[in-house]
Amino acid sequence: MRTSSLGVGSKDRRREEKRGMATSLSTPKLGTTLTFQTLSLCKKFPNFPSYQFRTLDVGVFLSSGRWSHSFLRCRPISTTTPRAESTNGAGSEPDRNYDFDLFTIGAGSGGVRASRFAANFGASVAVCELPFSTVSSDITGGVGGTCVLRGCVPKKLLVYASKYSHEFEESCSFGWNYETEPKHDWSTLIANKNAELQRLNGIYKNILKNAGVQLIEGRGKVVDPHTVNVNGKLYSAKNILISVGGRPFIPDIPGSEFAIDSDAALDLPSKPTKIAIVGGGYIAVEFAGIFNGLSSEVHVFIRQKKVLRGFDEEIRDFVGEQMALRGIEFHSEESPQAVEKSSDGTFSLKTNKGTVDGFSHIMFATGRKPNTRNLGLEDVGVKLTKNGAIEVDEYSRSSVPSIWAVGDATDRVNLTPVALMEGGALAKTLFANEPTRPDYRAIPSAVFSQPPIGQVGLTEEQAIKEYGDVDIFTANFRPLKATLSGLPDRVFMKLIVCAKTDIVLGLHMCGDDAPEIVQGFAVAVKSGLAKSDFDATVGIHPTTAEELVTMRTPTRKVRRSVPEGKTDSEIKAAAGV
Amino acid sequence: MASLGRKMLIDGEVENSNEGDVHYDFDLFVIGAGSGGVRAARFSAQSGAKVGICELPFHPISSEVVGGVGGTCVIRGCVPKKILVYGAAFGPELEDARNYGWELNERIDFNWKKLLHKKTEEIVRLNGIYKRLLSNAGVKLFEGEGRVVGPNEVEVTQLDGTKIIYSAKHILIATGSRAQRPAISGQELAITSDEALSLEELPKRAVILGGGYIAVEFASIWRGMGATVDLCFRKELPLRGFDDEMRAVVARNLEGRGIHMHPQTTLTELVKTEEGIKVRTDHGEELIADVVLFATGRAPNTKRLNLEAVGVELDKIGAIKVDEYSRTNIPSIWAIGDVTNRVNLTPVALMEGTCVAKTVFGGQPTKPDYVHIPCAVFCIPPLSVVGLTEEQAIEQANGELLVFTSSFNPMKNTISGRQEKTIMKLVVEAETDKVLGASMCGPDAPEIMQGIAIALKCGATKAQFDSTVGIHPSAAEEFVTMRSVTRRVDAAGKPRTNL
Repeated sequence: MRTSSLGVGSKDRRREEKRGMATSLSTPKLGTTLTFQTLSLCKKFPNFPSYQFRTLDVGVFLSSGRWSHSFLRCRPISTTTPRAESTNGAGSEPDRNYDFDLFTIGAGSGGVRASRFAANFGASVAVCELPFSTVSSDITGGVGGTCVLRGCVPKKLLVYASKYSHEFEESCSFGWNYETEPKHDWSTLIANKNAELQRLNGIYKNILKNAGVQLIEGRGKVVDPHTVNVNGKLYSAKNILISVGGRPFIPDIPGSEFAIDSDAALDLPSKPTKIAIVGGGYIAVEFAGIFNGLSSEVHVFIRQKKVLRGFDEEIRDFVGEQMALRGIEFHSEESPQAVEKSSDGTFSLKTNKGTVDGFSHIMFATGRKPNTRNLGLEDVGVKLTKNGAIEVDEYSRSSVPSIWAVGDATDRVNLTPVALMEGGALAKTLFANEPTRPDYRAIPSAVFSQPPIGQVGLTEEQAIKEYGDVDIFTANFRPLKATLSGLPDRVFMKLIVCAKTDIVLGLHMCGDDAPEIVQGFAVAVKSGLAKSDFDATVGIHPTTAEELVTMRTPTRKVRRSVPEGKTDSEIKAAAGV
Repeated sequence: MASLGRKMLIDGEVENSNEGDVHYDFDLFVIGAGSGGVRAARFSAQSGAKVGICELPFHPISSEVVGGVGGTCVIRGCVPKKILVYGAAFGPELEDARNYGWELNERIDFNWKKLLHKKTEEIVRLNGIYKRLLSNAGVKLFEGEGRVVGPNEVEVTQLDGTKIIYSAKHILIATGSRAQRPAISGQELAITSDEALSLEELPKRAVILGGGYIAVEFASIWRGMGATVDLCFRKELPLRGFDDEMRAVVARNLEGRGIHMHPQTTLTELVKTEEGIKVRTDHGEELIADVVLFATGRAPNTKRLNLEAVGVELDKIGAIKVDEYSRTNIPSIWAIGDVTNRVNLTPVALMEGTCVAKTVFGGQPTKPDYVHIPCAVFCIPPLSVVGLTEEQAIEQANGELLVFTSSFNPMKNTISGRQEKTIMKLVVEAETDKVLGASMCGPDAPEIMQGIAIALKCGATKAQFDSTVGIHPSAAEEFVTMRSVTRRVDAAGKPRTNL
């Protein structure tokens, strides 16, 4: 394959780049702070003065970027990107002058990452984004996108806030006394949260600026394969990247206009006293935990028997039980039919099973849809799926060769780090002469329910389907903190091991710190390590995580020798083998 | 392994020369029912051996005559320590809650006695669980002090003073270690970690001598509970043996949380006064304390075991010398855990115990593997590490090293306003791309490091870290998103930058 020879070249080049970075890193400025690195900015920021960081960020990438740029000049992309060769309109018109090498529509996680990295590789890049608002619409958005403004970040901040009530409860058994019951002030939290979002929004803008990416505020629309219209102004670009993300979707039932979505739920003017959450996905369970922790009465309505379809069945059972123990009321197998507003201003939710009333808020967490409407995509021939997602190939290229798409707009794996990966891969493909496919194997993920979930690899159900013979190791225990607090908190862990190869196929955990714990294990699972490798690792004592390296006996062995089409109950019957 | 057993009999002083007919009361007799002893006893019993174990009566504070099933970890170490750390961590947590909208009283009362009571309840419960583990495995437990009286004989002094001698094909010493006190004038006024875990009253003013993990953990515990804490240690930074950069981070964090740090300081004298214990440092400083804690190291519990009389070799500090299989110079006597002073950690004692059971009764000679043992220090915030420190890597690696560090403000702090950065570090061998060491100081570090430890243990490369997708938003994801090298260190030796 042609890529193999390319691979060697690019490896050498990477090495060069690293050297370049190191050189720029040993400039005197550095002496004043401890550490530097390119950040994934959705999360946390160095405390050191930001101008230093910026200087550095630019410095690092200019040195490597300049180099890549000249490299690109001698080996035009169109002839070295295998997939681009015959089809890339850009490549076939080497003489045409574009305003930009890349024009990105949407400055969320994926768009910012692709734009920055492209610019760092020497491309001239512009990105357009709607004006800032905490609630998204056709005319509002904001630099930072869902993750920073209406997703991961504000969600996690509210999770932090809401977790405290559980901690207050725990702390009593650890000797702490509250003369008066701690009370929560919603407006303080929301004000502090919004101040933080503003700050992050500003940081994101700076990041773009420092990378040399031109930010254009406004709604971008594709006019032709190389032209984007933003508020009436036309910009030409060799490549166009669509990274417009997704938006919450509320089904059209009577009274659905009274319902709020997750955007609104993250920025309510007052705290719900009693809230109905419709949906059983991760957004539903996360908000259930948030409002429950802030002492709203929470009812969750799920169509299925259990929450979190697609997750490991045992995790689904476990998290549902734990959430119920913390006071959340689940209404399973109930589909919403109508929302009604009563004379006292409260809402009632009518389902196939009956009506529950007295809600101050009704929230729909019933899925998200790609933001692809009114972007002019269909007109220029970009194929969309039924759901409205942009169809892309493995390199994130749409059916129009000069138009690419990453992140939730493509509805592949809708997670910030995946959008980052796709954006990073795209920049490499287009501007670093290194065609790169995002790697979707063993992507870990977390649900910030209370208790939270972390997982990587296959569920038991998937593993059985794919491998047949698997060994299942589980642990279900009361953590040390809970034995002291007396609260009914438990931890559940599960390893799914291929019986034939001993390779760990999946790892699932629900309990305190699960998202933090699973990250390191994800490196192990991604690297294809075996159960014996887990066993050979000494535990860190006393931690919860050590349990994952001290699981000695399988809870059950599932064998294909059982006739095809075996059922759940048969699998369970194998327990204790 | 049976042959090994027989050989010892010849070497030993057992009269019966007809090996086949020798009858022992036990296949294995274990002295000390702590982490290592219990593990070895249980696993041996599960392999079919007849096992006896003796342990001193239960007491939270250990001495020559009291101890308890569960050992240091359960009764006077990891477990009670972590319970107190949990308790103490609520202090700063409650402060952090305010900016998240929680309205709390100005002062929140902390009731030490309640926590102490809960802690004692828990360790008594665990003590019971450990006893049950032994009896369920078919191990015979004797309460009393064990003493080696021959290569195959243990004398147990029971609580009523009567002595019984049991014969055993193999003897395992797993008596652990105890806190030591330095010879300072007035040292009797000070306490060790045993007492610190069981104090009647919470000190308002505490002085801690020592820079090891026990010292920094208690400093964090007492500070979190509201005490004034002075930490005196000999070196420039606490936690000798850990990565220098991380040591500096811990020192900065402890200071940031209000602990008074006294580097390069030792205590010269303790005097009892009206206002408390007057503590004098070698800098001539005077501190007044309610409690003075000596966290100046631990020594193996070998004094009353009669080991020298049977010919078991000890090292200078009294640790039992063993080979790679944990066997002493007397072939029928084995030793594991802190009493051998190898790597003094509970999970290591467990590993050693398992290996002895496999070696002696499992027909599977097994050496414990000391490569890449992860560990944690539960100061607040905690430190956790696996693999080589940067200094060790410089010494051991052949080629160039790449050091990746990340220093960031954890998301929780963006609203709480706490000024404390989390620091992470990966040390990578440039030529092989292998990650040689990982460390982190920040919330959840010990939980985060466990999975990283598997990766290191299996020789993971930096590329493998990079190819792992992050879990967002977490602190841990930083370990897989460290893209630019912070500094390069040359083969021959010194860092190019001295950050």
